Amino acid sequence: MDARILLVEDDASIREIVALGLRGAGFTVATAADGPDGLARFRAERPDLVLLDVMLPGLDGLDVAREIRHGSTVPIIMLTARGDTLDIVVGLEAGADDYVRKPFELPELIARVRAALRRGRGGPDEADHLRLGPLAIDVGARTVTRDGTPIPLTRTEFDVLVELARRPGQVFTREVLLERIWAYDFLGDSRLVDVAVGRLRAKIEPEPASPTLILTIRGVGYRAGG
Amino acid sequence: MAGTGAGGRRAVGIRARVAIVVVALVALTAGVLGAGASTVVDASLRDRLRADALRQADYDLGVLIPTALPAGIDRASLTASGLLDTFRLRTDVETIVDLGDGDPVVSSFDLVGALAGLPPELRAIVDRGEIGYAWTSVAGRSVLVLAGRPAAGAPAFYFVHDASDIDRAVAQLRIALLVGSLLLIGVALATARAVARGILRPIDAASRAAARIADGQLDARVTATSRDEFGTWAAEFNRMADTLEATIERLRAAESRNRRFVADVAHELRTPLTGLVAEASLLRVELGTLPPDARRAGELLVADVARLRSLVDDLMEVSRFDANAEQVATEPVDLGQRLRALVAARLPAAELVLPDEPVVIETDPRRVDRIVGNLLDNARLHAPGAPVAVSIARRPGAVTVTVADRGPGSGAAGSDLERLFERFAKADPARPGGSGLGLAIAREHAELLGGSLRVDANPGGGLLFELRLPVTGSLLDGDPTVTGGQDRERGPEPTRSQPR
Repeated sequence: MDARILLVEDDASIREIVALGLRGAGFTVATAADGPDGLARFRAERPDLVLLDVMLPGLDGLDVAREIRHGSTVPIIMLTARGDTLDIVVGLEAGADDYVRKPFELPELIARVRAALRRGRGGPDEADHLRLGPLAIDVGARTVTRDGTPIPLTRTEFDVLVELARRPGQVFTREVLLERIWAYDFLGDSRLVDVAVGRLRAKIEPEPASPTLILTIRGVGYRAGG
Repeated sequence: MAGTGAGGRRAVGIRARVAIVVVALVALTAGVLGAGASTVVDASLRDRLRADALRQADYDLGVLIPTALPAGIDRASLTASGLLDTFRLRTDVETIVDLGDGDPVVSSFDLVGALAGLPPELRAIVDRGEIGYAWTSVAGRSVLVLAGRPAAGAPAFYFVHDASDIDRAVAQLRIALLVGSLLLIGVALATARAVARGILRPIDAASRAAARIADGQLDARVTATSRDEFGTWAAEFNRMADTLEATIERLRAAESRNRRFVADVAHELRTPLTGLVAEASLLRVELGTLPPDARRAGELLVADVARLRSLVDDLMEVSRFDANAEQVATEPVDLGQRLRALVAARLPAAELVLPDEPVVIETDPRRVDRIVGNLLDNARLHAPGAPVAVSIARRPGAVTVTVADRGPGSGAAGSDLERLFERFAKADPARPGGSGLGLAIAREHAELLGGSLRVDANPGGGLLFELRLPVTGSLLDGDPTVTGGQDRERGPEPTRSQPR
């Protein structure tokens, strides 16, 4: 797996060992020590995935994530040192696809990186077309259009949409979505799903406040409407 | 509250005591004055009556009777003279004339036989030829009797003056005095109560201030406006409260500094620790390629880094509790699924007993993970190799999760199992274990969820932890859903679910 990864982390020691571990796992790694440098590297390198420390000098990791999301669907994994669980939600809402809490073991991080990269690599049997209400989903080309207008989705958002749209009416628990899309076992953080669904609704729903395409089944999970 | 009850009783006691003393003093004073006044008035009225009567008797015996009856006194002449009627009409005096024959002449039928009832001393004085007097009663009336003879050997005249006016006057005076005294006592009682209330008002205010301080309102003070003893006392009370408040503020500030320090230390440790954990995870993979001595050092290093990590993690968590920075995010949680995953990840050897029906409650799944995870870690560390059973039970208004081990825990901890929930409590100091914070953290999480975490000696030996979680909403019924359980068919079941 020759994917290119951009690692933005201010601590030199952590930066070096994480880069070492990622290279050992077969990735190509570019590093940056602060936010502005990270953005510059991102524009220059066009990596397949970004590992982003939340607390960065210069430009906050959350701002970097928002900046990257302006024009890119690249997977972003946050490295969060903060204990406050609210920061995780803020980071996910800023555009991150997943997070790894510091301190972490390298195999754990590499597993997250692989899971994120695997997203958006459709299998051979996925070259089909789905419809959900006014949305036309081309699974093979990974595009979503409404009335001919393309809607840009991140890979995570796209996978959530496809998972739900494949079996309309079927209720998916968040645990199942965590396992199928994020490759988490049961102990994943269900807020990953909630935030991804929220971002997805903001893009595809005519009125995100009263969704009609992705419905919340209180106490259970989500299902596709339409 | 016991305190206010005692305070109230004491205040009433003082009021009652003041009232009793004042009333007793007023009653005593009124009694003495009243008795004295009535005695003096009684005596003076009697003196005047006696003086008047004496003057009258003197005149009658010395002048009037000899003039009216110059020829001597006998029954016939006496009756003919009409003297006795004259006396009665003149000054309302009844008369008894003792003719010495045992049949005295009387001016009124009331006096028939009265002569014998007169005091013998009086008759003795009369017999001596003097004028005498006596206070006595005749026919049930209080009377003054004056007696004497007009001349030696003449019949004795007894003039009976009515004294019942004096008795009536004195009796009326006594009633007036009694009524006045009672009014005075009433006024005194009201005054005493008012004064006592005035005196006790600062004490009541002080009681309230002290109660507020006891309830934690350290800024409560007594308003000290008066310049009397209470003013001084209130100033002293306030000074004490100032000192108390300042001391507690200082202690709180110090405690908060300590807590911040712990949080800062844990936070500062996290960055190098992140490096250490990542480095150790890489080193662990390569341990096999190292020479034996270096390999052993590497193994120890990896293990120590893991211990350090759990300690710093727990310290961070504890400092978040202390900063009250915890937010509870609840959602419907299938406890059985949660436990199955936890057991698989943390202690796959544990036996899991779940009800047939799914148990879904509204709670914070991340905190449930921490609680049960810490309990499983505790069992793994302190009861290594011992059988551990995890189970769920529904109770009225709650669901309990029980983690029971058959390790040496209860023996090592002794009788005081509550100590296990103290921070850095180690049931067995000889056994290197976790951070010593895991159970304290688990209990804090349980309380944040509105539940509780208790420990008991397992009847079969070992420790039995019971997590009690409140059931706020109704338990949800199952919907047609894709659940995790269906997908687990792909791998071997990680837990030994016991059929019921």
